Amino acid sequence: MIDPIHFVVFSSILLLIGAYGVIRNKNAIVVLMSIEIMLTAANINFVAFSSYYHDLTGQVAVLFVTTIAAAEVAIGLAILLSLFKQRDTIELDLLNTLRW
Amino acid sequence: MSEKDLDSSNVDLLVTIFGSLALALGLLLFLVQEDGTSPVNVAWLIPVFSIVSFVLILLLGSYDPRRGGSIAVIGVGFSSVFSFGVAYDVLINDVTNGGYIESTRIWFGGQTFAFEFGTYIDGLAGLLLLVVGFVSYLVVVFSLGYMVKDGDRQVRYFAEIALFVGVMLGLVIANSFLLMFIFWELVGVCSYLLIGFWYEKPSAASAAKKAFIVTRVGDVFLLLGLVILFNTFGTLRYSELFGDPELLSENAAAVKWATLCIFGGAVGKSAQFPLHVWLPDAMEGPTTVSALIHAATMVKAGVFLVARSYPLIVHSPDTALYIAVTGGVTAFIAASMAMVMYDIKRVLAYSTISQLGYMFLGLGAGAWAVWHAAESGIEIQAQGYTAGLFHLMNHAFFKALLFLGCGAVIHAVHTQDMRKMGGLRKAMPITSTAMGLGVLSIAGVPFFSGFWSKDEILEAVHHNWEAEGIFGALWWLGLLTAAMTAFYMTRLWMMTFSGPAFHEVEEVIPSDDHSDSGNWKVLKKEVKIQAHEAPLVMTIPLMILAFLAVFSGFMVFLGEGFGSVVFYGTPPSSEGPIQWGLLDHILLSSLTYLSVLVGLTGVILGYLFYKRGNDGQTPFSTAFVSDNIVTSNLHTFLSNRMYMARLFDWFGMRTWDTLAMACDWFDRNIIDGIVNGIASITEILSGQVRKLTSGFTGHYASLTIGGLGALVVITRVVFPLMGWSL
Repeated sequence: MIDPIHFVVFSSILLLIGAYGVIRNKNAIVVLMSIEIMLTAANINFVAFSSYYHDLTGQVAVLFVTTIAAAEVAIGLAILLSLFKQRDTIELDLLNTLRW
Repeated sequence: MSEKDLDSSNVDLLVTIFGSLALALGLLLFLVQEDGTSPVNVAWLIPVFSIVSFVLILLLGSYDPRRGGSIAVIGVGFSSVFSFGVAYDVLINDVTNGGYIESTRIWFGGQTFAFEFGTYIDGLAGLLLLVVGFVSYLVVVFSLGYMVKDGDRQVRYFAEIALFVGVMLGLVIANSFLLMFIFWELVGVCSYLLIGFWYEKPSAASAAKKAFIVTRVGDVFLLLGLVILFNTFGTLRYSELFGDPELLSENAAAVKWATLCIFGGAVGKSAQFPLHVWLPDAMEGPTTVSALIHAATMVKAGVFLVARSYPLIVHSPDTALYIAVTGGVTAFIAASMAMVMYDIKRVLAYSTISQLGYMFLGLGAGAWAVWHAAESGIEIQAQGYTAGLFHLMNHAFFKALLFLGCGAVIHAVHTQDMRKMGGLRKAMPITSTAMGLGVLSIAGVPFFSGFWSKDEILEAVHHNWEAEGIFGALWWLGLLTAAMTAFYMTRLWMMTFSGPAFHEVEEVIPSDDHSDSGNWKVLKKEVKIQAHEAPLVMTIPLMILAFLAVFSGFMVFLGEGFGSVVFYGTPPSSEGPIQWGLLDHILLSSLTYLSVLVGLTGVILGYLFYKRGNDGQTPFSTAFVSDNIVTSNLHTFLSNRMYMARLFDWFGMRTWDTLAMACDWFDRNIIDGIVNGIASITEILSGQVRKLTSGFTGHYASLTIGGLGALVVITRVVFPLMGWSL
């Protein structure tokens, strides 16, 4: 029997993987992808508890999250594209003009 | 505009002067007819005219060919005509019936009291209106000639002088101590502006500052006195304060301190010892301003204040005695310094201080006599009050005359040093005659105006001698001062006007062998004095004032007599159109002969000492001063103004500079230390904190996640363990 605990542990692992990707990666596109992983972790929680409580609200929330994530990726990629036009790079470590 | 242009445009000046006076008279008559009452009802317009002309001159002055002079003459002329109207109604028609007429409006009100402004016209205000209005108007007319060489800056001059006259007239007719105080301060500001008129001269700038700061010392006392009065009686209106003598005598202590403080204000404004130091320096302004300050405005405000507070002062014998002593001592000290000054304006300045001392002596003696009479239950009128104010009026005329004459002399010879003058009598016949009459008047020569009033003051002081010994000393001081006054005024006239019309000038030139030896030699040569008589616009005011300086003294006899309109207590009984009784009294009194003797001695000594010989020198006085060790030391002592200026300087160095240095140290080390310490601590901390802003996205993300994690751990693990709840 698959308990909610399994989903929770799985989504936590996914979240940590995403976070690790955000922290460690230097390529902005990979960071965006990692953020998507973290969103997926949240979605899994929603779906798991939705089915556990027989409540569709969670699944509706997932639809919203997916939509917003898509929009977010579109904007993020557009930013990266114009950034690349200006700076010829999307290496995050090189984009540090605001440091102290 | 040169003097020649001025002469050719005299017609428009005459039109301006007489046209504005006629217009003002017409307006006054129209207003009076409209109201069907006396000019007293429109007294509030008096200062308004001058103050409005002040604004107009500032706005339009530069379009006026006389640079604002015409507007000033018109504005001050309107004020003067209205002043005369009021003074005529009060002094001649006696509309106040020996009391007062007050009109008042609410200015702003609170729950328990309201400040009001309005006019309070009585004999005193009428007298001051007459004197201030008249003398100011003549001074403004005189300025038209005197200030011509200042070009466009006359706009500022005329604007300030119109304001000066306006606020002084306002001070005189104000109906409460509060309103009076406002005008009082405005008078101070105007005198500051006018003394510093030639502000690019450092001496003028510092003299203006000195006048302002020294009088400010007095003003603080005055304000303190008003606060005491308001706290005790809950009002500052004259009519309410003066109307209840019993309430005043119940609060004797408060009245005593209040009047002492108020007199402190008068000491500052009227340049009495020890705050007299500003007046001689105030000579840095234009001479017309000096004339105005000395004769009509500013210093007369102090005398007016004391006379106005008379109903309070008569309840405090200490204040009255203090006023008399201050007056007597100041009169003597100032006269002694006037005897040795060489600057013609400084002599007149010290003479003013001395004469103001006389007025205070008279007022103080009168107030003391009233108190004493009330104590011992005898009926007495305050002779000193009438005498002091009589002297104020006479002094206004002869001192304005002397100052304007002195202005004409300075205008002609371009120096203020009397040693460089002499022999001007032929060159300036009108000025020298007019000033001669002024000198005789202030010296107390019989039948000139100064004689009557000075004699009355001395008599009032002598009268108190029986009851209080200190008045004996004051009487002797006053008598001695009378002799000294006669002496130094004669000296002034002799040094300026007597002697030959040639001057011996020493010039240092290179000697014949100068190119080899570098020697210089002194060449003495004779130069004819280049002076000439002043233009008519300046001499006519002189002639009018000379007439008054000679004859204003007779006002004490003519009609009901001066004492029947300006008095405190009960007026003396009238004896028809001419007061023969008073004349008899004066002519038959031995005191009169004593003071005449003393005055003539002074005049004769002054003549002997300072008559210039054919070579223009005054050998007798030179020998007297330099040969004798006592007199030469005394001369040095007095020439240095009794070292009082230096004493003040030394006092300032020792106390205020030490205090200032202590404050400076405290400021630099303690205050700055605290501020700098906080700043450097913040800087160090922020230097550490800003390193968090590394610019690496990963760092920010780790901090966010780490922070979130820490929050979760704290709320979910630590809190339950410690037993806390959110």
